[in-house]
Amino acid sequence: MADTPRPGPRPAQLLRRLRRGLFASHLDTLITVVLAVVCGSGLWSLLHWTFLQADWAVVQDNIRLYFNGNFPVSQIWRSWSWLGLLGVLCILTLMPSRLLPPAMVRLLPLFWVLILPIGLLLLAAGLGFEPVKSRFWGGLQLSLLLTLGTILMALPLGILMALARRSSLPLLRWLTTGYIELMRGMPLIAVLFFGQLMIPLFLPEGWTFSRVLRAVLSLGFFMAAYMAEDVRGGLQSIPKTQLEAARSLGLSPLLTIALVELPQALRTALPALANQCVASLQNTSLLAYLGLIELLGISRSILANPNYLGRHLEVYLWLALVYWAVCILMTSLARRVEHSLNVTGHH
Amino acid sequence: MHAMPSNSLKRFAIMPLLLALASCATAPEEKVSLLEQVKSNGELRCGVSGRLPGFSFVTSEGAYTGLDVDICRAVAAAVLGNPDDVAYTQLTAAQRFTALSSGEIDMLSRNTTQTLSRDSAGGNGLAFAPVVFYDGQGVMVRKDSGITNLEGLEDKTFCARAGTTTERNLNDVMQAEGIAYELVKFETPDQMEGAYLAGRCDAATADRSSLNSSRAGFEAPDEHVILDEVLSKEPLAPATVDGDSQWADAVRWVVHGLMAAEEQGITQGNIDDQVTSATSGENQENAAIRRFLGIEGDLGAKLGLPNDFVVQAVRAVGNYGEIYDRHLGPDTPTFIPRGLNDSYVNGGLHYAPPFN
Amino acid sequence: MAVFTTHHPLINEPDSLSPEDTLVSKRPAWRRKLLPILLQVGIGLLVLGAIALLLSNLQINLLRRGLELSFDWLGRPARFPLSRGLLPYQTEDSYAWAFAVGFANSLQVVVVGLILATMLGVIGGAASFSSNWLLRKLATLYVAVARNVPPLLHLLFWYVAVFLGFPAARVSVDALASWLRLPISVEFMALLIGLTVYTGAYIAEVVRGGINSVPRGQWEAARSLGFGEGRTLRLIILPQALRAILPGLNSQYINLAKNSTLAIAVGYSDIFSIANTTFNQTGRAIEAFVLLLGGFLAVNLLISGVMNLLNRLVLQRG
Repeated sequence: MADTPRPGPRPAQLLRRLRRGLFASHLDTLITVVLAVVCGSGLWSLLHWTFLQADWAVVQDNIRLYFNGNFPVSQIWRSWSWLGLLGVLCILTLMPSRLLPPAMVRLLPLFWVLILPIGLLLLAAGLGFEPVKSRFWGGLQLSLLLTLGTILMALPLGILMALARRSSLPLLRWLTTGYIELMRGMPLIAVLFFGQLMIPLFLPEGWTFSRVLRAVLSLGFFMAAYMAEDVRGGLQSIPKTQLEAARSLGLSPLLTIALVELPQALRTALPALANQCVASLQNTSLLAYLGLIELLGISRSILANPNYLGRHLEVYLWLALVYWAVCILMTSLARRVEHSLNVTGHH
Repeated sequence: MHAMPSNSLKRFAIMPLLLALASCATAPEEKVSLLEQVKSNGELRCGVSGRLPGFSFVTSEGAYTGLDVDICRAVAAAVLGNPDDVAYTQLTAAQRFTALSSGEIDMLSRNTTQTLSRDSAGGNGLAFAPVVFYDGQGVMVRKDSGITNLEGLEDKTFCARAGTTTERNLNDVMQAEGIAYELVKFETPDQMEGAYLAGRCDAATADRSSLNSSRAGFEAPDEHVILDEVLSKEPLAPATVDGDSQWADAVRWVVHGLMAAEEQGITQGNIDDQVTSATSGENQENAAIRRFLGIEGDLGAKLGLPNDFVVQAVRAVGNYGEIYDRHLGPDTPTFIPRGLNDSYVNGGLHYAPPFN
Repeated sequence: MAVFTTHHPLINEPDSLSPEDTLVSKRPAWRRKLLPILLQVGIGLLVLGAIALLLSNLQINLLRRGLELSFDWLGRPARFPLSRGLLPYQTEDSYAWAFAVGFANSLQVVVVGLILATMLGVIGGAASFSSNWLLRKLATLYVAVARNVPPLLHLLFWYVAVFLGFPAARVSVDALASWLRLPISVEFMALLIGLTVYTGAYIAEVVRGGINSVPRGQWEAARSLGFGEGRTLRLIILPQALRAILPGLNSQYINLAKNSTLAIAVGYSDIFSIANTTFNQTGRAIEAFVLLLGGFLAVNLLISGVMNLLNRLVLQRG
């Protein structure tokens, strides 16, 4: 019977598979029935609420705010086009690479590094456009900007600290170890609180920098400690023979680190680093409690509009959906990168 | 063997060096009044709540609006000639004073209660402008609970905002009266409101204004009453940083101007007629009006403002009464009767000193 | 060859192993010894200088605000009310006691939370190996949804949508509280469930990884011995997987403890919310922050200590 491959299973086969999968024993049957009833009623009430009871005007009327915050209307195409550019880049990265011209595939990482400067250029003061101050940035656009900024700051810093933590200079080792352990022991909200409220206390009078920058700095310094540990894990997994081989080739220590150790360490640490990137996005939501109008913050301003009083549930479900979609997107991007590295790594 | 990492580590040593250099490079600046800075920046940086119905929130069009917001707009119109030249910064209760003293914002218009310790140099070091809203802490209960006064709330649960003067006031009054109670705290007004509506607590306490506007947004406002007892005085006023009297004066007199305009019946609608009338019409002999509108004398220049700063402000946002009606008037979902907030002419507390 | 296993492979390399290192051997001996020392002195001075600069700025700024660093205010009455918790508290009590109450409240939610999250995580992780299709898919769905929504939204959802939305949920919490004779509030439950569901998803992943690390042959062997699915998992697979699971659990537990500070979103009086209110009332940012950090250091050390003990027990047994 197994010798005759068919496009689809026959009804009898399907039934058997169903029985094996759902009703193999009495206990299995019980579990299946209970779960089916619970999930079914949960799903039913969710659907009922979603389509019959909920008032989605609070989402529909404010779509622009959720995505762009209160970016000046006359300039809003700049915000949309950055979000669009980011979307196109995601699609290009996720597409099977054989569908793309090889030059494009090679340039993709460069695009990803450039997307933040392009975003800053577009959003802040691009190419002769009217400058838009960072306090006008908001919504998903600000959340993504904060996330990208955090990652681009935390990754190099994390790599440096991972290297410093295994240096032969005891002082450097102690300092980085102390920093990493202290940071990892602190709750993020406390770090952000410090960054938003207490940094001015440590600066000379009259010194200020924008809240968005302060947020990126706090998030970046926080995240760097976690990334450093992930990179360190990657470094530890490199077999010693590789280093000896590098030495016997006459590679200088610096080149050994740059050409032999780091590429391998980063490849090993990639899944963990990808998780940190997703965490970075989730972390930005805390800034709503520090007055920033990123996705959650702008939503709370919308909830203060007398027209939408009390529409919490609609807004929170919508936000959950948006965050979920972006997180899933980030995870699949990371998987894609992992996959392509593995392909090129085994030749 | 030491050399392998240390060679590469020279690079790392550069980083703290740069950091240290950066922090050494402090240039002592000469104190310039914020008024001049605002003019040269071409925008007014105003700190608001952004999450308070009636006072400041974001419309679907993305614009800030509300009573607190209109005060910022009036100041921007008076100083810069354009009410839209305002950059809003949302601030939490915890952030507002630091933002002002660190120079992140030029003025604070965020339903802030004027108190001695906030005003004094030994406290938060603020300079308060005239009160723009007389408020008081009140208590809201469900009508069917039968509670009519504070004694009726013995052993009941209160909902309040965290980190504000509200929890302290409640504690002071209840302790003095010897009434035991429980408290649940919330970060934002909307959360507190949701919890109260859901029956999480028997009473909600907050400034009467926000209780009132919350109640207006309920599906059945009639089912809730605000008790007559007032737990505290809450005069809400805009503020600037202490020690910059030129800037503080400018903000103060713009607010006075809005109130004086209401006293004299000058509105957004008739301001241009008033100016014409005072320039060449029936009022051209009325020196007081001419001074007020900046046609005669140099009242504005004394403050460092254009002489017609009141005209600019009123043309942009209307007089105080108009601002009030726009955001808290009977036609709004956040209606609050004017009460103490009426002009003294109508028995309220708003009273502008003479423009002489 | 012993060198390979006892020494860190990258740091402590014996000289004999690197005769080829041309860059090193070209340098005179004094430079090789002196350079690291000079470098360290330089780094040390820079760090010290930076710290000194920041601290002097701090002192100037605090003086300007009339707030010299001191902890005297800790003895003063706090005069702000707290939501009910394990320790008795009245508004006349001191700030110090308020912090203690907050610490106890944090500890309460963390301890209960990590027990529940572990249970949920183990069930979720094990369910993904079940032969029941529905159970397997549900476990996958749970992990995929819960991990990809920020913890803050988890809390807001449970609090606003469930506990405030359904009076029945609130009544049952009150019933539970009076039955257990414990001061359990709705805020506590919302925080607890939110943290449990979020962290449980991560623990489920850790458990799944751990179970995956057990060779497939063990399952088959157990089946041939006539063990059922549940017993195989409980008696054979999980004990072996524990070794791979424990380190991962440790970091998830610490994450849970740190995420418990999101209590501010649901109005539960944890240590962060006390520190926040204290800062608002007294302006003592630095001191409140130091106390907060101290509290967290204690919680982290406690968790790591217990986990190390468990780890050692498992290693001894295995």
